[in-house]
Amino acid sequence: MTTVEQGDVHTGTRRSAQRTSLWGWLLALPTAWMVTFFVSSMALIVMLSFGRTTNDGYPAFAASTANYRAIWNEVYLELFLRSLLYALATVVISALIAYPVAYAIALHGGRYKNALIAAIVVPFFASYLVRMYAWKALLSDDGLVNSGLRASGISDGVTFLNTPWAVVGGLVYGFVVFMILPVYASLERLDTSLIEAGKDLYHGPVRTFVGVTLPATRAGLYGGALLVFLPALGDFVSAQLLGGASTYMMGNLVQQQFAEGQNWPLGSALTVGMMAALTVLMVAYLRATATRGGER
Amino acid sequence: MRASRRGVLAGGLALGATTLPGCAYIRDDVPTRAPLPASARAKVDGDLVYFNWADYLAPSVVKGFQEEYGVKVIESNYDSMEGMYAKLAAGNQYDVVFPIAKWVVKLRQEGKLRAIDHAELTNADQVFYSGSYFNDPWYDAGSQASVPFTVYKTGVGWRTDRVSTMTGSWKDLWNDEARGRIFTLDDQDEALAMAALLLGYDVNTADPGELDDIKDVLISQKDYLRAYSSDDINNMVAGDAWVHHMWSGDFLYLRQGLADDPTTFDFESPSEGAPINSDAYVIPANARHPGTAMLFIDYLLRPENAVTNMNYLYYPFPVKDALPAFADLAKDVPACNIELGDLENENVFRLLDTDEVQRRAAVWTEVKAS
Repeated sequence: MTTVEQGDVHTGTRRSAQRTSLWGWLLALPTAWMVTFFVSSMALIVMLSFGRTTNDGYPAFAASTANYRAIWNEVYLELFLRSLLYALATVVISALIAYPVAYAIALHGGRYKNALIAAIVVPFFASYLVRMYAWKALLSDDGLVNSGLRASGISDGVTFLNTPWAVVGGLVYGFVVFMILPVYASLERLDTSLIEAGKDLYHGPVRTFVGVTLPATRAGLYGGALLVFLPALGDFVSAQLLGGASTYMMGNLVQQQFAEGQNWPLGSALTVGMMAALTVLMVAYLRATATRGGER
Repeated sequence: MRASRRGVLAGGLALGATTLPGCAYIRDDVPTRAPLPASARAKVDGDLVYFNWADYLAPSVVKGFQEEYGVKVIESNYDSMEGMYAKLAAGNQYDVVFPIAKWVVKLRQEGKLRAIDHAELTNADQVFYSGSYFNDPWYDAGSQASVPFTVYKTGVGWRTDRVSTMTGSWKDLWNDEARGRIFTLDDQDEALAMAALLLGYDVNTADPGELDDIKDVLISQKDYLRAYSSDDINNMVAGDAWVHHMWSGDFLYLRQGLADDPTTFDFESPSEGAPINSDAYVIPANARHPGTAMLFIDYLLRPENAVTNMNYLYYPFPVKDALPAFADLAKDVPACNIELGDLENENVFRLLDTDEVQRRAAVWTEVKAS
């Protein structure tokens, strides 16, 4: 996206005009890709949200608002709020974990920086699902952690699984890397002389951090928050594998409509409704951060 | 460790994204009720494209087929019946598929199945003999388009070392001793059926008043419940579940195949009645190698192969000469055994109309969401 802006800005010379058209061509392929696989599938979902299910169980297009009336339901609203809460908790916990990790690597990693970042990223090549199963094995009532607790006499065993904490824990584990990387990138770019300057100006380490480091890396934190929040809100794997009887999330609800519920149109309407709610939240968020950015 | 049989979340979630077909599936025309395309002859006409739940036949049996007939078996898996159906409806071509009975009804109604001529199967008499239930099962008149594969039952498994007050009723899923360590299957049909049986209703009920009662019963269970999960084997093995709504074959595998001490696990088939269902082999109408598929089905009907598969899957195959071996496998837990006579009962999941499915789904959603 930034390349397009650059092209728009430097249209003065012939050379940059050529570059613009080259970029234009290079963009054709990804644009076609996005239109085919993203925009058109979104359009299908929007269209289907006004659809119905035939008596043979096929989803069919129609012009019905019944699905939108159906999602206006107290139970669904409660689910949305619960999902929002879990996703926000995930963002906060991810930030608390990611910031020290990124800070340590960026400022004290020395020549091991790349190796350390790789050590964080590589486990995420393994399927999210497989890692959730590993969590189950670790945290079950007779699992490794509980066996260790019992053997060491610390506790008779703790019920980790099938709780809201397990769901949030799974989400954090699944998405924390999306917080670490942008925060790391912004800390990497940070001019360390700023920190030294902060210390020279009679700040203690805490005040330096709050007054200098944190504001300078705000963009990374915001970016990370967004990257963690969105997938966490739509996730259904964590709640399905680690959740309990009352930790159902929006993602589970949508997934159910497309499977056992045999109600793709309702699933589509739920998806569109959730996207609309998210867009409102997102616009509010972007405006708020844009204003704050302007103040800087 | 083998994943739970029907719940198979592993496959389910991984395939979740891919089981939704393209827009070819969204259509307005009414599916055909055309007569069945004629049966193929049982002879090799290419490699076998096999479409089944993951890990569902003994690998040695599949290998044996490849060696004996000099063909390759190309395997794809589905995670749910809906996923299986969506792939077929999107036009994917498979030679042999393994649907649950009610899906046989749907596929046959829509002209998606090819006839299977029993005379082409040398082992047909193992399942189609005088007096056999499968000569004319409810889901496929005359078994014209399907051959029975396995049968299964749903009941309650529990830890005998943790719980001593089981009563032989579905009410055991509200057991006080196991409060907070009880699991109900994360399966719309099974969960609704359990509550329906407790209330004395039909397992397929879509009556709004009855569904309201079912909803209340299921919500009343939440105080006792740890979670809804179809990963019944792992939940029991890991010690998370003391009482689990579970499938008979999963229980038997848990007890005979996994447990350190089998006597700490037991299974009951509740007195109010238990859902009993069956799976079948079918050959899709658009299969490219129906001849090889016929040979494959015939090969699986050989009693020795059925026995090997049963010792792997722990579900009974209704193959006449293999049944004694299953009774032996289940001798310590007779509740896991299924006599062919048991199939003559009302607790089978039938194909419902869309509005009925959606009414049931709405109840199930509300239960899980509340």
